[in-house]
Amino acid sequence: MSFAIKRRDAGTIALLGGPVLICAVAIIAPLVLTLMVSFWERQMIGMKPGFTLASYALFFEGARFTVLQRSFWVAASATIIMLAIAYLVAYLATFKLSPQRTRIFLFLLSVPFLVNYVIRTFAWAYLLGRTGPINGFLQLIGLTGAPVDWLLFSDFSVYLGLIAAYMPFMVYPIWLSLSAIDRRLIEASWMLGEPPLGTFLRVVLPLSLPGVSAAAIFGFVGSFGEVAVSQILGGVGYQLMGNAITSSLDVLNYPMAAAMSSVVVGCMLLMLTLWLRFFDLRLFLGKMLGR
Amino acid sequence: MTSRSLVWLFLIGVLVFLYAPLVPPVLLAMQDPATGTMNFTSFGAIAGDQMLMGALLNSVILAIIVGIAAPLLGLAAAQAVRAFGIPRLIITVILLPLFIPGASMGVSTSLFFKLTAIPPSLFTMAVVQILWALPFAFLIILTVMSGFDTIYLEAAYTCGSNRLQAFWDIELPQIAPGISGAAIFSIILSFNETVRTAIVQGGNNTVQTFVWSRYQQVGLTPNMYALMSLIIAVTLLLILALVVLGRRGQAATTANEG
Repeated sequence: MSFAIKRRDAGTIALLGGPVLICAVAIIAPLVLTLMVSFWERQMIGMKPGFTLASYALFFEGARFTVLQRSFWVAASATIIMLAIAYLVAYLATFKLSPQRTRIFLFLLSVPFLVNYVIRTFAWAYLLGRTGPINGFLQLIGLTGAPVDWLLFSDFSVYLGLIAAYMPFMVYPIWLSLSAIDRRLIEASWMLGEPPLGTFLRVVLPLSLPGVSAAAIFGFVGSFGEVAVSQILGGVGYQLMGNAITSSLDVLNYPMAAAMSSVVVGCMLLMLTLWLRFFDLRLFLGKMLGR
Repeated sequence: MTSRSLVWLFLIGVLVFLYAPLVPPVLLAMQDPATGTMNFTSFGAIAGDQMLMGALLNSVILAIIVGIAAPLLGLAAAQAVRAFGIPRLIITVILLPLFIPGASMGVSTSLFFKLTAIPPSLFTMAVVQILWALPFAFLIILTVMSGFDTIYLEAAYTCGSNRLQAFWDIELPQIAPGISGAAIFSIILSFNETVRTAIVQGGNNTVQTFVWSRYQQVGLTPNMYALMSLIIAVTLLLILALVVLGRRGQAATTANEG
């Protein structure tokens, strides 16, 4: 990039810097404020400025800490399952379909994603229910005599809901990095005698890692803070971090909601820092970052 | 079975899995829960719901605001990435909302509005939705801009144009598809957003938070399923319109070239 493009004058700085600064403040100020509030004292109604670790103490010793642990486990394992499915879908779409059909397939994949996922989750609650069509079908073909209970309000249904909500979106970054791979590299690997599996492990997979990690973060963040899927498909008492935070907010315990939220955001920032250290943004965003 | 048909079986299976949830709301809306008979009364009933009509209006207003504001802010930020010497910082800050769960972002912004004494309104809902749509709009525009060679801008400067002219006449036509794509994506994200909006909504509703609060307060009735069917139908129609527009645009380009 030449000097001319980077030339900075007062007009440019005001025109571009102004909106960016407003966005930055709107994004960062609430997070900092939340961290502050998490140390405030809880009143009967509302809160009082001060410095106390009471909210954190209550969070880490109480049942809410179990929720944090469960959220971590559910989000991590769901992300791995979703990555496996999304990678297979993206791989087949990139390498096994003609370009025309890849476009049609990716379009068809995006259509249900554009329909609100809360509505789709309600529909899953019906499909998986005791009197729903899936139980009806299982009984019809004689696989089971009585309705299967674990289909709904269980870990199974929560995972299924998370996969339905976030997996399609994870296909795109993986497909992006797979389709950007120079096919000649794969051919070269074949010609140099590497078997198909070796070619995949040593050429295709490493080159697609930026897309995979972007997809992993999307999936993890979505599942970790999930509110709707856990409430609709998890049943009474099934809580993930998102539910714990919103229910503290419902009883107007602002410092507690702020403390839990800050812990979650802290975890996310830690992951983000690690990601930025392992993967150069340049891999992900290409030449925009300049030479 | 050949490997080719296995591939098709898997991909079609994934599509069936994703499309299956679009069917039940229509069936549940038409089915009378007491008698099991099919009728269309619930569709008529929701048209008379004043609260819902207000929510629908709010959804449309928010979609327009977010559809305009997010791409413009995204464009400014993407230009700033190229113009200022701090690309990593700008990208990290603008993409931050992508990495923060919806509930956390909702709580943070609602605390922010509470302490700055800004009452919940369409404005606070719009702010939350813009912050959510901005990273996507920004990424789409950044991707399109990365395909634009800045040497054309240098050529324009050499020919004596100023920065604004060069942007307007040379770069904007090239990246326009990215900006309209970002606008459409922002509208869809705004229309589909529930969790963040529900935390800062106050007394207002969008169509989505309306369904969500009814579910939490009284559970789902055939009327709510009728509303969901309509939301699905509207979304599908919007997508169809996009496809038709895209086809026309393509046809026009081909005709011009031919």
